[in-house]
Formats: sequence, structure tokens, C-alpha cells
Amino acid sequence: MTLFLIGLALVLAGGVSAVATRRGDGRRGDVLYQALVAGGCVAAAVDPARVLAGRPAVTLAVRATTPGGDWVLGIDALSAVFLVAVLGVSALCAVFGTHDLRREAADHHDGVRRPTWFAQLSFAVLVVAIALVVAARSVVVFLGAWEVMAIGSYVLIVTHHEVADVRRAGLIYLVATHTATLALFVMFSTWQVGASDWTFAALGAASPSLSAGARLAILLLALFAFGFKAGLVPLHFWLPPAHAAAPSHVSALMSGVVIKTGIYGLLRVLLMLGGAPAWWGWLVLGIGATSGVLGVLWALAQHDTKRLLAYHSVENIGIILMGIGVGVLGVAHGAPAIALLGFAGGLLHTVNHALFKSLLFLGAGAVYRATGTRNMEELGGLARRMPWTWAGFIIGAAAIIGVPPFNGFVSEWLVYQGLFAAGQSSELLRLALLGIPALALIGALALACFTKVAGVVFLGTARSARAAGAEEAGRGAIAAMLLLAGTCVVLGSLPPLGLALVTGAARALAGTSVVVPEAVVSSAWTISLLALVTAGLVSVLWAVRTAALRRRIVRYEPTWGCGYDAVTPRMQYTASSFASSILGMFGRLSGARVEKTALALHTHSVDLVLDGVALPMWSAMHRVALRMRALQHGGGRLHFYLLSILGALLALLAYLVVGPRP
Amino acid sequence: MTSFAELVLFLVVLSDFAVLAMSRLSACIRAIALQGLLLGVLPLVVHSTLSAHAVVLGVGTAAIKAVILPAFLRWAIREAAVRREVEPLIGYMASMLWGAAALVIAFAVAAVLPLHSVETDLLVPVALVTVMIGLIVLITRSKAITQVVGYLMMENGIYLFGLTQSQRVPFLVEIGVLLDVFVGVFIMGIVVFQINREFDSLSASRLTELHD
Amino acid sequence: MTESPTIGAVVALAALLIGAPLVPGLAARAKAIATGRRGPPVWQLYADLWRLARRGIVYSTTTTWVFRLAPPVLVATTIAAASLLPLDGRGSVLRFAGDAVGFAYLFALGRFVLVLAALDTGSSFEGMGASRDVTFAMLVEPGLFVALAALGITAHDFSLTAMLGGTAARPAAGVVTPALVMVALSLFALSLAECARVPVDDPTTHLELTMVHEVMVLDHSGPDLAMLLYANALKLAVFAAIIVGVLLPVPRRGGVMGVGSLLAGLIAMGIAIGLVESAMARLRLPKVPLYIAGGSALALFGLILLLR
Repeated sequence: MTLFLIGLALVLAGGVSAVATRRGDGRRGDVLYQALVAGGCVAAAVDPARVLAGRPAVTLAVRATTPGGDWVLGIDALSAVFLVAVLGVSALCAVFGTHDLRREAADHHDGVRRPTWFAQLSFAVLVVAIALVVAARSVVVFLGAWEVMAIGSYVLIVTHHEVADVRRAGLIYLVATHTATLALFVMFSTWQVGASDWTFAALGAASPSLSAGARLAILLLALFAFGFKAGLVPLHFWLPPAHAAAPSHVSALMSGVVIKTGIYGLLRVLLMLGGAPAWWGWLVLGIGATSGVLGVLWALAQHDTKRLLAYHSVENIGIILMGIGVGVLGVAHGAPAIALLGFAGGLLHTVNHALFKSLLFLGAGAVYRATGTRNMEELGGLARRMPWTWAGFIIGAAAIIGVPPFNGFVSEWLVYQGLFAAGQSSELLRLALLGIPALALIGALALACFTKVAGVVFLGTARSARAAGAEEAGRGAIAAMLLLAGTCVVLGSLPPLGLALVTGAARALAGTSVVVPEAVVSSAWTISLLALVTAGLVSVLWAVRTAALRRRIVRYEPTWGCGYDAVTPRMQYTASSFASSILGMFGRLSGARVEKTALALHTHSVDLVLDGVALPMWSAMHRVALRMRALQHGGGRLHFYLLSILGALLALLAYLVVGPRP
Repeated sequence: MTSFAELVLFLVVLSDFAVLAMSRLSACIRAIALQGLLLGVLPLVVHSTLSAHAVVLGVGTAAIKAVILPAFLRWAIREAAVRREVEPLIGYMASMLWGAAALVIAFAVAAVLPLHSVETDLLVPVALVTVMIGLIVLITRSKAITQVVGYLMMENGIYLFGLTQSQRVPFLVEIGVLLDVFVGVFIMGIVVFQINREFDSLSASRLTELHD
Repeated sequence: MTESPTIGAVVALAALLIGAPLVPGLAARAKAIATGRRGPPVWQLYADLWRLARRGIVYSTTTTWVFRLAPPVLVATTIAAASLLPLDGRGSVLRFAGDAVGFAYLFALGRFVLVLAALDTGSSFEGMGASRDVTFAMLVEPGLFVALAALGITAHDFSLTAMLGGTAARPAAGVVTPALVMVALSLFALSLAECARVPVDDPTTHLELTMVHEVMVLDHSGPDLAMLLYANALKLAVFAAIIVGVLLPVPRRGGVMGVGSLLAGLIAMGIAIGLVESAMARLRLPKVPLYIAGGSALALFGLILLLR
């Protein structure tokens, strides 16, 4: 555990060093910052890696005089999986972010001088907070780190606070995350009633004696609170504005890591409760499938690259939840083999998503830095101007779609197997089979969405001067992206590696007596073989073609324009048109709204939950509050307002006196 | 509980009524300063054992409540150039009567409240009465400075109540209370000066003319 | 699972690879005869492929390495997908648990690269074709998975080898239940959508505004075009092999009988496609989702029947 804490301390030291070196040109400060943060993350990841490799779990308890008992930290298989993903992604995002912020400061795009040291310090604090959330074993540490994580994310989201949209996004995020925290407070308080103190071990020990009502409340509150954090439909509405407004490396961290803490929380609650009833598993599975389909559908309607990627995170969280749902159903129906497949798939997809989503966000960030716009309709042809970014992005896109030989395929394959295994049982569980076409639909929509992004942004010809003048990202940024892409390829072509990563945690969740079936392990190796065969075939065919072409004529001509000579970049298919046929099929559900005048056509997307539910609710509350404000000071009544406080105090005292004795 | 502690608490109650009765603002501030000093002395005498923690708490409390805050309030009066309070909303006589009623209620309630601990048989009622009188001051006075004094009195009452818990939950109550005081005064200080600057007056009834 | 592929499986795969271009040829020939013409010879596609392979290439100046990557990847993924099938009725070259998922997603990989290649040209025609193609794919994938799930339920295994023949779990010989027939019909309908044949897309039309798959490959030429045409034919052949596996419940002996039934299946598929093409016109674009949904519904009914 010491190495873990030392690593976190190094990360914090990196943040402090950013403050200390804030004067000067920043180059040395940047190197120091990156070294400390990345080095700290790597150091802190050693302990979790050791746990994953088979060492036993570690705990550390610190006596504290604060209410809530001791401060306990621990790393077991579940925490280890998340910690490895968290720390790895954080390190690379820190590297990218440093280069990105430095370039922004040099560009003075908006004429605003912004101190980078504050963002760097906040980033370091955020990383430490996330690591502590995952390693926390007592409620005080968990909630404290959770809150620091929320505030840290907020601070980073509103880096560009002079833009009104950014402030709005930050406010929505703040409201959402604190609603979730409130629910967590209620959940833990309900749980602690029968427990001896506020550590997770005590809560877990008290779980069997929980009343049915308390159990129900805990399950629902956990789903609500952690679902809010993770971005489940319909609690996802804070995600797109926040991810679009934040700087790219922060969006990458948030999408790749912060929302995963929601998943972690759900799984930790499951572990502490010792399983959940079947109806909860069905709920999770259903919400997961819905989030998956709706998330990617709404992503398809976006033309802002970062909003699109944010909605995609919603989709992938849906897939993760489908895996978890299958796992819970497996445990509830007494079929640990099914549960193992489901949990393994969900956990592996969590890790995979952390990798490829951060990669995609970093790529989008590099594009934004180079062109100054996130609007896809103004981009195009960037594959030639930014080849390395494109290389990373296309690997991320292939990974997120789930095609072999990348890592998305392995986790989705596990979830499919879990669904199918559930479908083979002879009870109500068979309905889980319907998850298979849902997952297939999600995959196909994801393919549509990412061919749209990759094609419109990187391929074709540039649609505006900004895209035509783009420059490749810096070496550090490219290194971060390619490293992430490399992990996607490695995890995809070596599925046993991914399986080994998540087996410990999956077994803990499914029931430690079950082992991964031999069939699955050897199949993982066969997938490797398949990847190798495919790659080999591609290389052979490419080589044959190259050899054949050496003796043939190869000419280069403009693209066929059906005999039309004056083809302009504006004649290419746009992102909206690419997606319009699919969106048209889903009608108003897709959130795409079209405004037509006699001369122009304009499409924009609305978030059904934000604009349809959350904001109207907020306005209604605002109106009620305005009316109630009259109570406070309308026409000299301030004193009556204060009198009401005294009245409340007297009423409470009266209740204490005449009310029931505790 | 020692008789010296009881004497101190009695003086606290007296200072409460002093604020209720007096019309000169500087006198109100002197009363609250005295209360602060008494509160600083209390940790040293209310528990049978004298600990370093109690000494630190007492000295810090006295410094803040008896010295710094009253100084800040006196500075506020000088800046705003006010001298005398106008009649409170319900009159001085009625305020005293309500104060007495609060005293009776406090002692009656404290007797039946489900609380532990023997040594605090006077602390809880005094705390309650201080809070309630602070609230009465807050409600019935119109000058913003006096309202700040009322708020401070409420904080003193809460602090007194915290003293009953200080053996069981060290530090936390003190930090919370002191922070509260700081925050409250700072905010009120800013507000008071803003009001004075905008309206050339510190009358709280003018506050209701603020619209957005 | 890690058993080495049998000779029969390899031979069957080779037969499939060699015989795949017969399917479109048979389709064209059957359609011609059914409409009263002579039609092109059955081995026309072989001649076309040979001719194209000997030509040079014209590359668009807009394109990047993605465009050049698409044809090899498409062929490679289709071959890899074919290697997962038990083509001789017994075993497949490659097999793993849940390889039905791998099968479908290999096609997705091919489609991904092909669509990107189409967008790479910066042409509005190809963009349109790409958009339509991914729309149809979105509709076909769930239906395909429902059909695969139905087959999996029958075989108690999600691996294609078990589902489509092979030695193990298929129930008693000679029993082709109505559910399986529905699944086979659904697979036929979905394969027409997946491989861009009538009624979803007409391979003989060359009006840019009405093409789907054809327009996506508009800018490919020479050996690239040959690879793409071959991959399309191979996809049809793969689907034919699957339908053979569904409809012939007899555990086929390996060797000659296995390969023979495979080739017979290819011929039957080609003729069936040709007859469909001669009888139907291409559907209007808004009607295509209904058609695909109908095919998927068939599979869903089959699945429900099997689940009871």
C-alpha cells in the first residue's frame, strides 16, 4: 500500500510543482509536471497490478477522530482493475493536457491569458481524488474523495469560463453531481443504521440483517446516484454539455475515468450487499439496453465532435450495465457461470472504454486545437494534414465499434456469451436472449456513427479554410494517443490478457467458487489466432497487389464526379445527411430537429431529457421559488421571515418535549 | 458544576438582556464583547478537569469574540456614522418581556430534553435562552448592526451548546462554530457596508425595497 | 476447441473460395433465362475478375491509405468469416466459443473499412451510398443476430460449428422444424440485404442516385475492384453455406459428400437469387426498412417458437 500512497503523493507534488514553476516559459515546469504526475500514476499502479497478478488484497486503516470512524483504504481485485485503468489513462491525459494547454496559451486563440498552473494543479488533485474513491473502504473517505472529485471536475470543466455555454454546462454538472451525492448520503445513512461503524467492512457485515425496505431503498438509491454519475439514460443529460465544454484532456479523463467511478460504486455496493434480487438485474439490463440504443442514436444526431463522443459514452455505459445486469441475474438465479461471463464482460468493457474513449477524446482535442472548431461540418481532409492523429483516431473508432482485432470486440463478445448463456436456461432468464439483438443494434448504430465522424472529419476534402490549414499535434500529444491506441490493439489481439485482468474481480462478484470455463480461455487464444490470420491475409493481399501494380499503369485523377468538372468540397456528403436516413427512421426520438425556411434548412439536436424534462422542471421550481420569495421580503416582511425561524425553533423544541422519546 | 461556572453563565444571561434593553449601539457591542469574554472563560471552568485543549479553546474564543469581532463592529459603526438605535418593532418593554418568556421556556424545555451528562445542568438552558434572545434581537431590530449583534448572540448560544459535547467530540464543534462566526460576520460586514454605501442608511426596513 | 482443422474443412473452404464467383454468375444466368433471354455465361465473374486483375489502377487524388486498405481488408475478413463455418458439414478451420459473434463482427470490420474508403473519395455519390449502406446494416444486424440466436438455442451452443452441422449437438436427423425453415428464409432475405441484391439494391443499375453498394465502389478500379467484386460474391457464398447448414439436418459425412452438398447449396442459392431478381423489382428506398424488418420478424418468430 505504501507505493500506492507514495505514487499519489507524487501526483500531488506534480500539481504543486506546477504552481511553483508558474513563472517562466513553462517548458521546464511542464517536463517536471509530466514526470511527477505520470511517474506518480505508474508508481501508484504497481500495487493494484500486484493484486491483479495474484497477490492478496491489501488494506490500510488510519485512526481518525472525525465522526465516522477510521479512515480505511484498500485494494482488492475490483479496486485494482479500476485503479489500473484510472491511473494509466490519467497519466496519458496529463501528458496530452500539458501539451494542449501550452499550445493554447501560445496560440492565444481567444485573446485571453489563462494561467495553466491552476488547471494542472486541479488535474493532479482530481486524479488523486479519483484514486481515493476507488480505494476507499470507509464512508468518510469515499464521500470526501467523491466530493473532491466532483468539485475538481467542475473546476476543470469551467476552465474557459468566459464563454456562457461553458458556465451553463458547469452549472448543470454541479447540480447533477450534487443530487447524486445527496442520494449517496441517504443511502449510506440508511445502511449504517444496523452497522457498528462507517467502514465498508461493517456495512457489508450488516447487510444480511437489513430489512427488506432498507435493502430496496439502498438498491434504488445506489442505481440512482451511481447511475447519475455514470450517465445512464435518463440521468445522462449533464454529460454532453460538460464534456463539450471542458478542455480535451479533461473530457478524456471524465469520459474515460470519472464516469467509471459510477460503475465502480455500483459494483462495490453489489459486493457489500452480497448480491441483488433478480428484478434489479432486469432493471439494470433494461436500462443498459435503453441507454445503449438511445445513447448512440443521439450521438448520431450531433455535429459537435465532443458532444457526439459524450453521447457515445452513454452508449458504452449502457453496454457495461448490460453485462452487469446479466451478472446480477446469474447470481440471483443461482447460475454463477452466467454471472461470471456477464461481470467479466462488463468489467472488461469498462477498462476498454476507458482506453478507447480517452483516445477518441484526445484525438478530437487535437483536431480542435489544430482547427479551432468542433463542428464536423466545417472539417474534412484532416487525414492528410494530421496523419498521426488520424492513425490513433481510426484505431479508437474501430475499437469502439467492437470489431476484431481490437479490444471492444473482446468485451462485447463476453457480454454476448453471457446473454446467450442466460438465454439457454429454462426459466424467465431466457428473456435475456432479447439483449442480443439489442446489443447488435447498438453495434450497428455505433458503426454508422463512427464512420460518420471519421469520414466527415478526417476524410474527403476540407470543407473550410480552418480545416485546410490544420497542423499536426505536438509530439507529446501524439505519443499519448498512440500509446492508448497501442493498448487497444494489444488487448484486442491478446484477449487472454484482458480476461486475466478482470477475472479476479468478476469471480469476486459472481461467487468465488466459479472459475472461468476452459472453453472461454482457449477461445480467447483462438481469437488471437483469428486476428493474426486476418492481419496475415491483409498483408498478403496488399503485398500481392503492390507486386502486381509494379508492372501496371497507376494514374491519379480527381474523384469521379459524374462528368461534372467543378466539384467543390461543399458537394461532399455532410455529417447531417449521412445520419439523416437513420435519424429519420427514429423520428422525434432521435432528438434531431429540422427548421426550414423558404431559403434555408437548419438541423440541430436537442437533448430529450435536458430540454424536455430537466430544464422545464428547473424553470417550474424557479417560478415556485420566485413566488415564495415574496414571503421573504415583500413589503417590509423581512422581520416576519425571521420570526418564522424562531417559530420553527420553538416548534422543534416543543416536539422534543412532548414527542416520542428515542 | 462549580459555582464559579454558574456565576459566569448567570452573567451571560445578563448580557443577553443588556443587549435587549440598550438603545446605544456602542453599548450593545460592549455587551456582546463581555459575553464573548465570559464564553472564553467557560471552557476552563465548566469541566472538572483542566486540559490544554480547554485553555486553547478559551483563549481563542475570547480573542475572537471579545476582541476582534467587537472591534470590527465598532469600526463598522464609525464608518457608517450611526449612534443610536431607533425603537425596536415591538418596543423595549415588550422585548424584555419576550426575553423573560424565552428564559422560562428555555429552562422548562431543558428540563425535559433527552440529554445526557450531569455537569451541564445550567449550560443547556442558558444556551437555549441565548439563542432565542439572539433571534428576538434579529427579528425586532431594524438597524443592520444590531441584527449582526443578534446573529452573534445566536452563535454564542450554539457555542454554549457545543460545550456540552466538547468532551465527546473534540475540535469539530469549535471549528464549526468559529468558522460560522467568521463567515457570518464577513458576509454581514460586506452587506452592511454595501447597504450603507448604496442607501446612506443602515435601516433594515429599507432592505425590502431591493428588487432584482 | 483447439483441435486442428481437418483436411475436409480446409478442402471445403478452398472449394468455397474457388466456387464463390459462381453464385452471382448463376444468378444472372437464371434471371436471364427466366425472362426469356440467353444471358451471360455462368463463369462470367471469373472472366471479369481475371480481366480486372490484369489492369492498372486509377486512384483518386483525394484518397488516402484507407482507400487502398479497403479491398484487402474486405476480402480478408470475408475469408476469415468463412473459415469459422463448418463448410464440409463437420468442422471448421477456426472455431471458438461464441464465434457467431466473431462472424458478424468480421463482416462489420469489412463494412467499416469499405464505408471509410467511400467517404475517403470526397464524392457525394459515394457518401450517399455509404449512408444508405450503414442504414441498411443497422437494420440487418439485429435480425441476423436473432437468427443466429435461434440457431444457437437449437444447438445449445453459440458456436457456428455446433449450430450448422458438425458432429455434436444438432438434434435428430431428418427433422427440419418449421422454426428452422423460418430461420432459413429469414437468413435468405437478410442475405439479399447484406449483399446488396434485389430487392434491396440492384447490382445491374448504374444510375448513381439509385445505387447503394455499387456506388460505394465507384472509384475503385483494376485489382481493387476485382477484390471487391470477389468479396461480394464470397459473402453470398458464405450465406449460401449457412442456409445449407440450417436446412440439411443430416450430419453430413465429411469429404466428398460434405463438399458436394456445399457446392449444391451454392448452385441452389445462385438460382434462387436469380429467380427472385427476375420476379421482383428493386424496392423503393423507404420500403427497404420494412422489407428488412419483415426478414427479421421471420427470425424472431422462429426464435420464439424455439424458446417455447
